[in-house]
Amino acid sequence: MVDGQDPGRPSFFRKPGSAGSGASGRPATPPPPPVAPPPPAPPIPSGPPEIPLGPPPETLRRPTFHGVGGTLFGIHVVNTLLTIVTLGVYYFWAKTRLRRYLFSQAEIEGDRFAYHGTGRELLLGTLKAALVFGVPITLLNIIRDVLDAPVLVKVAAGVLSGSLLFVLFPVAMVGARRYRLGRTSWRGIRFSFRGRVWELVKIVLVGTFLTGITLGLYYPVLLVKRQAFMISNSYFGSERFDFVGRGRDLFWVYVQAALLTVPTLGLSWVWYVARKRRYFWNHTTFGAARFACTVTGRALLGLWAVNALLLVGTVGIAWPWVRVRNIHFAFRNLALLGILDLATIQQEAPHVSAMGEGLSGFFDSGFDLA
Amino acid sequence: MRTDWPGSYLDGRTAVRQPARVRLMREGLEISTAEGGTRLWPYRELRQTQGAYAGEEVRLERGGELPETLLIADAAFLQSLHEVAPHVGPRFHDLRRRAARLRWTIVAAGGVLAATVAIYLWGIPLLAALVTPHVPVAWEETLGRSAVTYLAPSERRCGDAALGAAMDAIVARLMAAGPPAPYTMRVYVVNRPVVNALAAPGGYVVIFHGLLERTSTPEELAGVVAHELQHILRRHTTRAVIQDVGTGLLLMALTGDVTGPLAYGLQTARALGELRYSRRAEEEADVEGMKMLLAARVDPADMIAFFEKIQKEEGAQPKALTYLSSHPMPEERIARLKSFAATAKGAPEPVLPREDWPALTRRC
Repeated sequence: MVDGQDPGRPSFFRKPGSAGSGASGRPATPPPPPVAPPPPAPPIPSGPPEIPLGPPPETLRRPTFHGVGGTLFGIHVVNTLLTIVTLGVYYFWAKTRLRRYLFSQAEIEGDRFAYHGTGRELLLGTLKAALVFGVPITLLNIIRDVLDAPVLVKVAAGVLSGSLLFVLFPVAMVGARRYRLGRTSWRGIRFSFRGRVWELVKIVLVGTFLTGITLGLYYPVLLVKRQAFMISNSYFGSERFDFVGRGRDLFWVYVQAALLTVPTLGLSWVWYVARKRRYFWNHTTFGAARFACTVTGRALLGLWAVNALLLVGTVGIAWPWVRVRNIHFAFRNLALLGILDLATIQQEAPHVSAMGEGLSGFFDSGFDLA
Repeated sequence: MRTDWPGSYLDGRTAVRQPARVRLMREGLEISTAEGGTRLWPYRELRQTQGAYAGEEVRLERGGELPETLLIADAAFLQSLHEVAPHVGPRFHDLRRRAARLRWTIVAAGGVLAATVAIYLWGIPLLAALVTPHVPVAWEETLGRSAVTYLAPSERRCGDAALGAAMDAIVARLMAAGPPAPYTMRVYVVNRPVVNALAAPGGYVVIFHGLLERTSTPEELAGVVAHELQHILRRHTTRAVIQDVGTGLLLMALTGDVTGPLAYGLQTARALGELRYSRRAEEEADVEGMKMLLAARVDPADMIAFFEKIQKEEGAQPKALTYLSSHPMPEERIARLKSFAATAKGAPEPVLPREDWPALTRRC
């Protein structure tokens, strides 16, 4: 079942459905200083107002998606031609174009998102990633597999390249999320990710170890911890997203899916993915507002089944329509409830580079909108 | 023409959308908001980031990393802009370009199709031919080992010592007749009733038990083994793998990242159905395999007899003989083998004692 990485993204851009739902990684640099100094505005009152004004009306906001499969297909055709003609160099610009289109078609509260990344950034990020990780890992693997070196040297090279790979995944997840959020805006305000990569390395390292010794039982806890890291380090301007979840909440869902794997021929995992997605979103808040997700296993199964038919029946050509279907599905099942106090939000955009994005491109880990 | 348009202004510092009036001037836009007075935005400092597709608002940004933004809902604004300031050129989207875009997309689709066909038919084979001679033997071995763990998992391999010794003897006899090769050849017999044999890069030959059972002399099997050894020695396997990977990459490029898993699935399915060699590679393996037999003084008549035998069986149970589907055996192929066999010099020497063979083929 493809649910390996699945982080929800705080923006509305989660890509449900498709293999590996959107995940995200957070980087580990210290929060950079706000670009725009926060105005000396009055601090947001933290307690309830002293004079009760009565409960504010619960408003419900749904994201909408305006994208069309045909347009996406057209963009893809032109992208493919240019990528072939340039022997692949255009790939980064192609990716950027696709992403810009998709982000621009997503709307909430009457405003569309905007994507600000550039192909140049992606290209440089990938080159940087190749230098920092790709070259050493390749060299170490050549030493390990090909050269006539003493056994000890070969073992050392193997261990070293293994550890590099292990660190690489968190770095890629965090970097990709930092880059992508940092290049996304809504109403001119940037999103950002401010988690530190070492925190994620710690979570993954400890989590993998505990998952191993508990024969997999710890895995849902690891997922929840990772999700908490991803979400609660995500910002929209000066306002942080928050995630409060406990691993044990997901534990029984996970155990149940595992036990039912054989009798349901693996379909129990579809329900697991739906419940996990609901759990993740329903425990995500933004200021006084919270998300509500209504994805069900049955609906997800229907979505995936039709998607699979479309893709197999067209040898993959239908993927733009599949992607649009996925986004529609996610948006239809997502809402933001409560008070959205936009007036207090200030622009705060830390500087980010595209290197993590380049890294994630290496692995094509599928946690990507475009 | 209309020069006054309603819009919204985002100051890049807060998330508040301010209603604005926009006036088109010759050198720039004049933007007035209720609270912020009036701004003048010269066209050359602006960039348009949305509004090129139907249904999108026109989005104009000014400034560096964290720009101020102007949004105009009505795309007709663009038309007026080009009329008021014809010198701005392609900096701003031109609505008339939309029809042209559709035409270009169709042209591009034709281009993609042509490029795909060209790459598939010529590009990938050419690339594989260029790359294959330079692949280190150690890489081939790594590749072959992983293929063999899949094709001949250790729990399905025949572990019989006498059978293993017989296979080794056949390989040793064949290899000793030729020039020294950089490969260590290994033969695995897999306990499946399939009538097939295949080669993996780096020196691995896999014989399925169904094929072994149908041989009545060791020379018959030696013929099959010689053919597969030639696929390895001539690096047909490595070349086929490179072509396969190339095709997979092409497929992936065509379908976008999203369907990477799908493309991968299709590719795996192909690889499982086993690699196909080109007809030329098959003919080469035939000829060179036959030369190998002759050099090793193995009687080639048995090999030909074996091919004829399974050729005949095909009529009876076509599906069972996978070997024929991967090694097509038209009449001329057998005829060519026969004419080659006629050039044999000297008396053949038995590979293994013939009388032991039938019992051996039943072991596993």
